[in-house]
Amino acid sequence: MRRSSTLSRIGLHATMLVLVVWSILPFIWTFQTSIKFTRDVAAKKPVLWGYETTANAYRAFWLDEDDINMWSVLVYILVVTVICLILGQIGRRVRHSWPWFTAAVGVIFVALWRFPKVWEVNDEYDFLINSIVVTVLTMLISLSIGLLAGYGLARYTGISGAVILIVALGFRALPRTAFVLPYFFGAKEIDDWLASSGVGSWDFPLIDFPGIDTLQILDTRLAIVLALVAVNQPFTIWMFRSFFMEVPKEIEEAAMMDGATRLQAFRRVIIPMMWPAIIATGLFTMLLAYNEYLFVRVLAPTEWTLPVAIVSLTGGESSRTITEAAAASVSITLPIVVVIILFQKHLVKGLGAGAVKG
Amino acid sequence: MNRRTFWGFTIPSVIVMLALMVFPLVTTVWLGFQKLLLRDLNNPQWIGFDNYTDVLSDPEFWAAFRFTMIFVAVVTPVTMVMGLGVALLLDRVGRGRSLYMAALLLPFIVTPVVGSLVYKDLFERGGLISWLWEVITDDPFAVDASNVKWLIIIQSIWYIMPFAMITFFAGLQTLPGERVEAAAIDGANFLRNLWHVVLPHLRVLILFVGLITIMDAYRVYDQVFVWTGTRFTDAHTLSVYNVRVATAFDIGRLGKGNAIAVLNVIGIFIVLIPFLWRSYKDQIAERT
Repeated sequence: MRRSSTLSRIGLHATMLVLVVWSILPFIWTFQTSIKFTRDVAAKKPVLWGYETTANAYRAFWLDEDDINMWSVLVYILVVTVICLILGQIGRRVRHSWPWFTAAVGVIFVALWRFPKVWEVNDEYDFLINSIVVTVLTMLISLSIGLLAGYGLARYTGISGAVILIVALGFRALPRTAFVLPYFFGAKEIDDWLASSGVGSWDFPLIDFPGIDTLQILDTRLAIVLALVAVNQPFTIWMFRSFFMEVPKEIEEAAMMDGATRLQAFRRVIIPMMWPAIIATGLFTMLLAYNEYLFVRVLAPTEWTLPVAIVSLTGGESSRTITEAAAASVSITLPIVVVIILFQKHLVKGLGAGAVKG
Repeated sequence: MNRRTFWGFTIPSVIVMLALMVFPLVTTVWLGFQKLLLRDLNNPQWIGFDNYTDVLSDPEFWAAFRFTMIFVAVVTPVTMVMGLGVALLLDRVGRGRSLYMAALLLPFIVTPVVGSLVYKDLFERGGLISWLWEVITDDPFAVDASNVKWLIIIQSIWYIMPFAMITFFAGLQTLPGERVEAAAIDGANFLRNLWHVVLPHLRVLILFVGLITIMDAYRVYDQVFVWTGTRFTDAHTLSVYNVRVATAFDIGRLGKGNAIAVLNVIGIFIVLIPFLWRSYKDQIAERT
């Protein structure tokens, strides 16, 4: 029975192919729609082969009439990348890389935050930039505080650790609606206070964002980031804890015997061993932030990210919006396909790790 | 690690969870007792349990409740059986496994609202499946109030199944080969092997996947919202109904919405408490 016959192997692969078709058929169909002319989309009998292809839908969605803007966007992204690469290179050569790393993070932060106000760009770029900002900031904040907490929870044996873990597990299960409504109400209250006390219109020299004259919470990317960091914390600390549990205590104890403080041992010895864990947890955090719909819709009525933009833009029934919506769907899915191809092993490992200790 | 160091490491995360999870949850309970309208947020009035009696006598709440229960009851077992089946198949595939895996993972990883949109397009007018349907049955196919619930369920199985599959697959990788071979030498056929060797090995994972699936199915929002929008309010689940009541333009009732949220939380906790209690016991046992 161990040795499978050719026949059963063919059967196996045939079944797998059917499953693959069931999985990706909608994506293939949408991709086809996105490169068709509207007359083919409107045809009653679907045109499956031999249709004329076009990138019109993509052009309509991403470019609009003003091409100049796209180039300034590309140049800007290029400049920021180069600065970060230089900082990273210096960081790799210098003994204490921490400040350089922080500087690179700072550059990304400022660059992303200020971006849309530097040039007037298409709405679609605003949504794209919002998506990037929200995803990157959520990952940075969520992973840094989650890493610390996960380490503490893995090494501490007191009862309060167990309580924190169980409460977090309970929060992981709650419906989003139990959080989004009070967030909305709280943000509204804070905004009202900011407006009525005049604090909101103070001039802060260091955080003087061009184009923003009043400080507020609701309808900003900050609100989305905070909400996502919070709902992601239970998952993050459980994931990191289960990874830290696999690292033997003796390793950092040896480092501490050699005179390192615990923080030094953590940073120099433990963190370098944790990269697979950080990548796996980071991937899921990234997907959570990139895919989020409900929080963005309620907390940011105009500062949409891509998922909200796509759902809102596909309201129409005309063939033209159908191709554009398809182009938008393909555009938002492409980064995810890239992630699957590059990080499949980490994704599978992350799901496994979450399960073992879940 | 001593207590002070522990709190030093944990405090940022704990502060975030206190400020943005515990405190909002308390706010939810408090708001559930208020009369509070979306267009008049500065004027909450304490009305005791009126929101709750209002919700519990609302037929739309019970419709949402019923559909949510059907949804959980269908999606959870089908997802798990399918996930296990595909994991077993995947386990037998030698060459091309990672390619299959990438394709099968896509529905689970893709943005849920986009996944729902592209899936829905197959069934809409001019879509591939709607056309095939018409060729086979001669009747035009249209998404309507009678079939949208089943389409949501099918699409959700499509969306969630890869999670069960990958988790079970990871579990199968840790199955010791000797045990399978020993069973094979004893003359166990596939089903007996599955029942006596594989399933006991995966027991913990099955519980885990089951709980996660129940939790996620219970609070489903994105798929249902995309399929129904404002067209098929009959097919709304509890979360969609909840958000609709609270944030409907101009007539949103935030107080009532929070009361529904509290009921939802109580609902999931009834399922969850035995499990949380068991995990707590495990945690305590680990520490002594």
